[in-house]
Amino acid sequence: MIKISRVGIVHGAFLCFAVALVGRAAWVQLAQTDRWRARARGQQFSAAELPAIRGAILDASGAVLVESRPMVRLAVAPTEVKEPAALQTALRHAGVPEATVRRALDRNRKWVEVPGMYLSSDVADAMALRGVHPTPALQRVKPQTDGLRNLLGTTDDNGRAVGGVEAALDSLLRGTPGRRAMLRDSRGTRLATPEENATDAVPGHTVVLTLHAGLQDIAERALGDAVTQMGASGGDIVVLDPHTGEIRALASRRAGQAASGATALTEPYEPGSTLKPFIAAALFERGRVQMTDSVNTYNGVYTINGRTIRDVHKAPAMSFAEVIRFSSNIGIVQFAERLTAREQYEALRDAGFGMSTGIPYPSESPGRLYPVSQWSRQSGASLAMGYELSVTPIQLAAAYAAFANGGELLEPRLLQEVRGPDGTPIWKAERRVVRRIMSERTATAMRELLREVVSEGTATSADLATFEVAGKSGTARRTASDGSGYAVGSYTASFVGLFPADQPQYVILVKLDNPSGAYYGGRTAAPVTKIVLEAAIAARDAALDRTRLADAPKRRAPSQASQADSVRAAGVATAEAEAIAPAYVVELGTSPAPARVVVSARPVPDVRGLSMRVAVRELHKAGFRVQVMRGRGEEQQPAAGTMLRAGSLVRLMAN
Amino acid sequence: MRGRTIITLALFSFFVVATGVIYRRSLGISQARALRTLEERRTALEAQEAALDGAIRDASSRARLAPIAEQQLGMRIPPESLVIIIPRPAGAVRQP
Repeated sequence: MIKISRVGIVHGAFLCFAVALVGRAAWVQLAQTDRWRARARGQQFSAAELPAIRGAILDASGAVLVESRPMVRLAVAPTEVKEPAALQTALRHAGVPEATVRRALDRNRKWVEVPGMYLSSDVADAMALRGVHPTPALQRVKPQTDGLRNLLGTTDDNGRAVGGVEAALDSLLRGTPGRRAMLRDSRGTRLATPEENATDAVPGHTVVLTLHAGLQDIAERALGDAVTQMGASGGDIVVLDPHTGEIRALASRRAGQAASGATALTEPYEPGSTLKPFIAAALFERGRVQMTDSVNTYNGVYTINGRTIRDVHKAPAMSFAEVIRFSSNIGIVQFAERLTAREQYEALRDAGFGMSTGIPYPSESPGRLYPVSQWSRQSGASLAMGYELSVTPIQLAAAYAAFANGGELLEPRLLQEVRGPDGTPIWKAERRVVRRIMSERTATAMRELLREVVSEGTATSADLATFEVAGKSGTARRTASDGSGYAVGSYTASFVGLFPADQPQYVILVKLDNPSGAYYGGRTAAPVTKIVLEAAIAARDAALDRTRLADAPKRRAPSQASQADSVRAAGVATAEAEAIAPAYVVELGTSPAPARVVVSARPVPDVRGLSMRVAVRELHKAGFRVQVMRGRGEEQQPAAGTMLRAGSLVRLMAN
Repeated sequence: MRGRTIITLALFSFFVVATGVIYRRSLGISQARALRTLEERRTALEAQEAALDGAIRDASSRARLAPIAEQQLGMRIPPESLVIIIPRPAGAVRQP
């Protein structure tokens, strides 16, 4: 029998233990490798999503309108806090509300979220303390003005786009989040490790809009002031470059505050008389009318198909040009009869009415233009006066751009360029012609008619002293909100202008909803246009090409033909009012015509020998315009003492 | 060599290698911590720069300045007849 000593038993036990240990180790290391490796990774590493910085939105000049910046959110675990006094000081210093500071120090609470986001530099002291848990977050910095804020939309707390351009271009702006495995140290602090694969976040694209922040601000201020002063319920201003279709400004107000979105794109309205030039263009284009053609305007009251149409400017007859100049409903209805229903419909459809413009903006409205098959006996007359259809301000501005650019309907654009995360342009918008809707000859003729509307017609309030403005005013009745038809005393006043008249750089549309008092477009919307133009001319940053403006032809004397028009011959005052829809037998009181300014001749002061600055000031004081020219010869032209009308041009020679 | 010497050398080698590994790992972690601190600082500075840029932009914008100029300084937007646009002389080169 084998005798086993006690030492042998101990050795055997140790050996068994060692074998078991090695066997277990081998089992863990070899057979369960993947399982234990995964468990170790779970303890030592944590996956972190790297938020992508949302792309910036710039204006046409490159100024930042909206951008994202990294911030931190704070949470406090009161039970972990070791230095409550230091934490209290740090949180107060960062501007955390006192109630939140008290909660953060309350040891009965386990977790306190500090509301809001903070610059990490502002809360650096707090972040260094035990018990404070910062979380990185991105804050979307909004633009300065309410109008721009609402137009561009916003993002919610989770960074998701809400409305406006943010929502429309979200796929470009949002970027792609990255992922990264973080090493956890013994204290739970997460550290980046180069040994682990990481996918970097790709920032969103930068989007450059066609808007011009300076002009946008001018438009928003002018609209805000106008809505307040005129007691209007709202309004819109659109400024468009007629040669490229780029939207330069888009201001909207509703109920005394900035509209919740771009209502100039989403809310259609009946345009009233601002539509008449398109009927006139269709007639002229098809050779159905000459400028000198006249129609009987029946001293302002005319009945057609049992419907009474009235003119504010009552005259026995008017020429084609006068019909536009004085916005005669009777005249345009009779001229429109020279077009077939299909021709009239096609003219309006070709101008882009009834169709979306394609601007990348949520819920853009196409407006409404019924096909001929749905017309009533009254439809031809109604459309000629700008009723029975609805257009958005942007559609109307884009259509007017055709008058300015020689007859082409351009696609209006809000997006100018998209830049990649590294700043290189990856897409640029190009001028896109939708179709030619009139010949250059017709466009030129229409511009001339529109110029006369401002210089002598219903919209003289938009007239400038130095530059000529062309345009058309409109006053349209508004439907009641309960759908019971047109509301009594409720109007949309509007004006669409081209500036300057000869080589237009802007198409500017001003629309006011429900202005109180003098509600005519020529009296309400036209002066707002003038305010916007004056501010734009005075501003350095209003998207005006001053070189072209300096070369633009200046004010001309009234044409002889217009001086001897039949309206004046009939003794009708040139009131600044245009015809409203005659379909409703509502007597619309004609506002008294403003007293005409008598401009008397005055002598040109002698400014020879004065410094240029003083000379210009003296001439302005005397009521003259001044042009400084390089050259030699007489120091001033015309010579001192010459009798000139106020507003005449005096040239100064700078040697 | 005797067995004990070999074991001693093996244990010593193991000690040296383990010390090296731990030292290297500790160094890496401390550098990662330093890197993290620097990244946080950079992020904070970038955020501060963006905030200051925004504040400057906001303070120098027309929307902020125009009301102040009008209300406190009594300035007004001049009518366009008082704005003189001087034509550039022929042959002049546009300045950047």
